[in-house]
Amino acid sequence: MSSRSVLNVMLAFYMAVFFGFLFGPLIIMGVSAFNTSTYPQVYPIEGFTLSWFDKLLSDRDMVYGMKNSLWIGMWVVLLSVPLGLAGAMMMNQVYHKARSFYYVIVVSPVLTPGIIIGISTVVFWRDLTTTTGSKFLYDGVFLTVLGQSSFISAYSMLMFMSRLNRFDRAQEEAGLDLGATQTQVFFHILLPFLRPAIFSSAVLAFLSSFENYNTTTFAILADKTLTTVLAGRVRQGTTPAISALAVLIIAVTVTGAIIYELVKRHEDRKRQERLDAAHKAERMELQSIENATLHA
Amino acid sequence: MTAAVEIDHLTVQFGLFTAVKDVSLQIRQGEFFSFLGPSGCGKTTILRTISGFQDPSKGIIRIGGQDMQGIGPNQRPTALIFQNLALFPLMTVAENIGYGLRVRGVPKADRDRKVDELLNLIALSDQGNKKIEELSGGQKQRVAIARALAVEPKVLLLDEPLSALDLKLRQHMRNELRAIQRRVGVTFIYITHDQGEALTMSDRIAVMNRGHIEQVGNGRDVYENPETAFVAAFVGENNGFTGMVTRVADGLATVETALGTFNGVNRKSLAVGAKATLFVRPELMRFDGEGENIIDGHAADAAYEGITTHLTMKAKDSSSVVATIAGATAKAFPESGSSVRFAFTSRDATVLPA
Repeated sequence: MSSRSVLNVMLAFYMAVFFGFLFGPLIIMGVSAFNTSTYPQVYPIEGFTLSWFDKLLSDRDMVYGMKNSLWIGMWVVLLSVPLGLAGAMMMNQVYHKARSFYYVIVVSPVLTPGIIIGISTVVFWRDLTTTTGSKFLYDGVFLTVLGQSSFISAYSMLMFMSRLNRFDRAQEEAGLDLGATQTQVFFHILLPFLRPAIFSSAVLAFLSSFENYNTTTFAILADKTLTTVLAGRVRQGTTPAISALAVLIIAVTVTGAIIYELVKRHEDRKRQERLDAAHKAERMELQSIENATLHA
Repeated sequence: MTAAVEIDHLTVQFGLFTAVKDVSLQIRQGEFFSFLGPSGCGKTTILRTISGFQDPSKGIIRIGGQDMQGIGPNQRPTALIFQNLALFPLMTVAENIGYGLRVRGVPKADRDRKVDELLNLIALSDQGNKKIEELSGGQKQRVAIARALAVEPKVLLLDEPLSALDLKLRQHMRNELRAIQRRVGVTFIYITHDQGEALTMSDRIAVMNRGHIEQVGNGRDVYENPETAFVAAFVGENNGFTGMVTRVADGLATVETALGTFNGVNRKSLAVGAKATLFVRPELMRFDGEGENIIDGHAADAAYEGITTHLTMKAKDSSSVVATIAGATAKAFPESGSSVRFAFTSRDATVLPA
């Protein structure tokens, strides 16, 4: 056996281990969700069943937690994306020397442990609502949205910042020069340019909110989200119903990823066609100039 | 008639750096006016001040007689063509051209009519639905011009818009720009560091250096009658010999230089003892030995260019002297290293303060 094929075998082995490490738990989850055994297991397969999905959907706590998580996720997106955008735009406005200081301040929530954010959110709002007599604001969902948004908006700000760095300021000046107001420039030129970043930071914000536990477990108070319900369940011992939930989440994620990839490929192809058209126009242009000089 | 643009004692400072120093200038209605100078000479700053993106530190800009103080770029009757064109990549060609009308609230039907008219002007009639990415360099250029003309500006400002194009297209676009300007009659203010562009397109040129204007005049003036040593050296090729004026008579000045004592036209009436540079254009330098002023040296290079040949001589202080010779005379240029003699008549040389 040549050294080259030894290398290939080793590489294949490494890849197998690597993907096994990544996807092994998911595969076990996936298979156990359809196995009739009452404890999640892959082997032996005692029989095929969809009853765990039934069980999951009739689990009122679980369904309630899921609804709450989706609701919170939506509000976190609606709050964090505009906040992140505003924060990123501020970055370009603040005086040069203040910039790094500003950056540290707005990014610090990302570096703060989630537990601290959770506890301090609770303490702050308990005191505030008590002293101002607005106890109705001391609500688990409300606090969770605020607590999560405090660091998720910083994530989204970082994404907007990297997109804004690629923005050509001449575009903005061109808009102004043609008579647009600052507001028109924002809506007609800057916002369309930021659309990909808006989309990706919305997805990221939603996912970070949906899977968050550390901050949520405190901020949610007596209420529940999917993560807190799950944490409680797993403590009592896991069931294949949880595997069924995992299968559903994996299915949604994979479908989303595939759709995204298809759309992206379609756009890449469109873009390539446009660039080809430009090259063709370029050649024709030079050709016609040459012809014109020859005939002159 | 009021000037299209009047620059009145304009000074622009960035911190301690003065980009534009006390510039005063009047640009006429319908004129193709160029600012020519090396990078960092302040020409772009003047353009940005006229368009309203830069506030003057001192001085006044008037457009059509009206003081522009406190009037933002979106309120001024100017349109700017950016160096990188700054077309909106997410809009179609037609949307780009119609953008200025759209933000002014012009109804869609009128807007479309105007856009069609302009697409016609730039020979892109049926291509309004294309994306900017699909266009060639020259087409993008024309879309940028149409977008600027759509808002019917009194003054069109152009910031080296041809610099990104390749040579052949650039030369072609010069003619096209000039033709468009003649057709629409709008005042064009053009910024460039390329003297060829400035000379071929402009009615008048302001040559700038280090924040001030060295000379204003038409192309011929600036090339043939430079007022300063900077203009003589920057516009076109030139041979310069620096020394001291030793004699002044009959409109001529005698300058003693490292390569010998030469006479030239004393345009700036320099006095004896003044430091001066005597300039001789390569095409006025002769190789056949005719002329009162003689330079000896060694042949260095003969660059054949078809109609003309550039002969380079290494003079005794090892500086290069260039003569551009037309026709067959150049064939007599000896091999490199052999001694040669250049000469020029005094009336062809210009003496300017060094």
